[in-house]
Amino acid sequence: MPLPPGVRVQATELEGPVFADAKGRTLYRWPLSQLRNGPTGDPPGKSECNDVRTEVSAGLMSPYPGGLRLPDLEQRPTCTELWPPLKANERARPVGDWTILKRKDGTLQWAYEGFAVYTSALDRRPGDVLGGRSDKRGGDSPVMREPIKPPPDVPPGFAVTTKSSGRLLVTAKGFSVYTSDHDAPGRSNCDAACTETWIPILAPALASPHGEWSLVERSAGVRQWALRDRPLYTYRLDGDTNKLKGSDVPGWHNVYLQRAPAPPAVFTVQDTTIGQVLADAQGRTIYTYFCGDDAIDQLGCDHPTQTQVYRLAICGGGDPERCLRAFPYVPAPENAKSTSRAWSVIYVDPLTGRLADRRRKGALRVWAFRDRPVYTFAGDRRPGDAFADGHGEFRGQRNGFKAFWLRDDFFNGDQPGPG
Amino acid sequence: MAKQMQMTGTAAMLLLASLQAAHGQTATSLPSVQYLRDGTIAYAMTSLRWATYLKPDARVDCPDGVNDGPREQFAALFPDQGQPRALADTQLRREIQGWFPTTRPDYFPFREPGGTQALGLNLDGEVGPEDFTSLDGEPGIDNQMYRALGCINSHRDAQGINDSLNSGEIVSNEYNRLLVELNGVDDLGNDDEVEVMVYRGLDALHTDAGGKDILPGGTQRVDVRWGKKFIQRLDGRIVGGVLTTEPSDLFIPWAVFNLPADEYLRDARLRLTLTPTRAEGLIAGFTDIESWHLQMMKSQSTHCQSYGQQSSMSLYKAMRRLADAYPDPQTGANTAISSALRTTFTQVFILPESKAALAGSGPLPRAMPYGGAPFPRTPEEEAGDVPGRVVATGEP
Repeated sequence: MPLPPGVRVQATELEGPVFADAKGRTLYRWPLSQLRNGPTGDPPGKSECNDVRTEVSAGLMSPYPGGLRLPDLEQRPTCTELWPPLKANERARPVGDWTILKRKDGTLQWAYEGFAVYTSALDRRPGDVLGGRSDKRGGDSPVMREPIKPPPDVPPGFAVTTKSSGRLLVTAKGFSVYTSDHDAPGRSNCDAACTETWIPILAPALASPHGEWSLVERSAGVRQWALRDRPLYTYRLDGDTNKLKGSDVPGWHNVYLQRAPAPPAVFTVQDTTIGQVLADAQGRTIYTYFCGDDAIDQLGCDHPTQTQVYRLAICGGGDPERCLRAFPYVPAPENAKSTSRAWSVIYVDPLTGRLADRRRKGALRVWAFRDRPVYTFAGDRRPGDAFADGHGEFRGQRNGFKAFWLRDDFFNGDQPGPG
Repeated sequence: MAKQMQMTGTAAMLLLASLQAAHGQTATSLPSVQYLRDGTIAYAMTSLRWATYLKPDARVDCPDGVNDGPREQFAALFPDQGQPRALADTQLRREIQGWFPTTRPDYFPFREPGGTQALGLNLDGEVGPEDFTSLDGEPGIDNQMYRALGCINSHRDAQGINDSLNSGEIVSNEYNRLLVELNGVDDLGNDDEVEVMVYRGLDALHTDAGGKDILPGGTQRVDVRWGKKFIQRLDGRIVGGVLTTEPSDLFIPWAVFNLPADEYLRDARLRLTLTPTRAEGLIAGFTDIESWHLQMMKSQSTHCQSYGQQSSMSLYKAMRRLADAYPDPQTGANTAISSALRTTFTQVFILPESKAALAGSGPLPRAMPYGGAPFPRTPEEEAGDVPGRVVATGEP
């Protein structure tokens, strides 16, 4: 795969392989998308992200009008301060899917598949993907910056989708893929009765094995895809895309190209009315907070280095103390350590919600996912309650809280992933 | 388990024929399928709407006009006069008012329906000054929710956008697949003691080739894993083909726009006219206002509320003012409002093997006891008197 000079492929915990710059910083793009009252984002061949501070809202999300002065303006970064363009030098030449566009200030910027490429000021180390996510969050979410990735190494007819449980192998139509313990390596033992429930994923006549992908002959001329010598199936009773239902059947398993990092060991998994949710040691549902403002540059507002005005409004009516009562942080004991990068321990000022020095009096030591604090909700009284899922603007997709879903059996598997 | 009013087979057939005739079927087209089997018949819910209008095609009479919605109220409170307006002082304050509503008097007038008639049931057994009369003349109808929702365009008739969206999701969203199973039925016309089980089903509804008309005879599995909360047992009786259940708290799964959400009705009762293939009627009870409000706020953003001029903060104030049951032990203020939902069901067969996990577990449960408001607040916070709170523009 041809790449521009300095661009490389970087392994990450949540997103798998992504493109990164020479320093290992994840690369993102911001494709133009339609919101309620109009589009924003980069059209192909052009960057709309500039170094002028946006001061008013754009009114892209009804019913509120545009032109409202944005909060914490004095601390608000410009778009390029938060999303530095990946600059190209004068000698750079297009290569493969990578092209070069000219910015308004005359400088050159790399583009991937036509869209301007950026890094994120939130990413500090190679492997960080703190600026954006690749999973879709629903129609009323901000126009997201998405990490750009090399195409997954799967044959035609397959795809990989990023879920909270990991990078799930699905068919091109989105149906989950399964393997069976009843099969032998390179051989399917799923007979006619079995195939009434488990549908072998057949390979076209011209398919050929490569890498970890192979072909199992079911009968003369009928070949089935296998991954790592395990024949692959879909589950008739899944009924819809991105499901984990088949793994409830003993001996059958969803297929992941990469599992998500384990949460802190003290956390638990609880059954709810739609599936499973991550919970703290007492069984209280874990929530993440998500925010993107309604400005033309759609900057994030959910990281503890960013404005907290939106969060404080939604969690406590503007009252930080009320926020702490309704949505308490999840404390991390002094000896608690994360085994992953995705989960970490941070210190926050409980009243401002901003990052705090650990030595500062009153600073809280709390669990964070993707560098953002996680919360519980005072209204959840029983394990499995998730009353605050969707608490906030646009059902929590714009400025609000989402439960940390691990499994969703009812909503087409499309409950947005956490954070 | 009918102890009285046993009907002969012939009488039962005549009643069956008359019930079917009422639904457009004739005795000569009696279905060959035996829908009532071994004393059991089940139905799946196919629509659910707040009983906020008398007839689907007739708008509620609102003598003072209809209520304004979020868009109109925002424009009135924060007119564009060429001066800079801060998002925190305008948009976010309105969101705060929605998510943290108070019982302070409303800045805007709240308009309610005129007239003395409403759908619903007599929930308290009394006839009071606030009560309505049903369309067939029954006095004492308790449905204060009608007063709250009746003059909001969303709920003023069956074309109200939120009304139709919400009900549409009863069919399209399998999270909402509510099943009602009647056990111990000797006679679908009259039986003075039947067990009514409520479950959540797991399967799509059986439709005609066009996908619109829901047909009887489909099968359903019971959700015994994620749907435990919805497994509930009611006691009922059938008189003249009408099932009535004894009051009992009731959870109804009712997710809208892909957010898990439930209605919680206290002292709920079903009154359903039964046929072998359909059931229709009312679910009535006292709606827990905090649960209702939070459910509405989560599932319908301010944008969606604007579809039908539904202002969440004005509506909350009205509901609390009109509340008529379950006083808060601390403040004495009522926390629940009398309500009715009109609903329809179609017959389904519940696959016996899907209920295997229920067998041997003893008496099946009543609804989970009320756990309190889903967003706990102090009385001062409800009243809006918390010192230092962000004072929302527009509140007096």
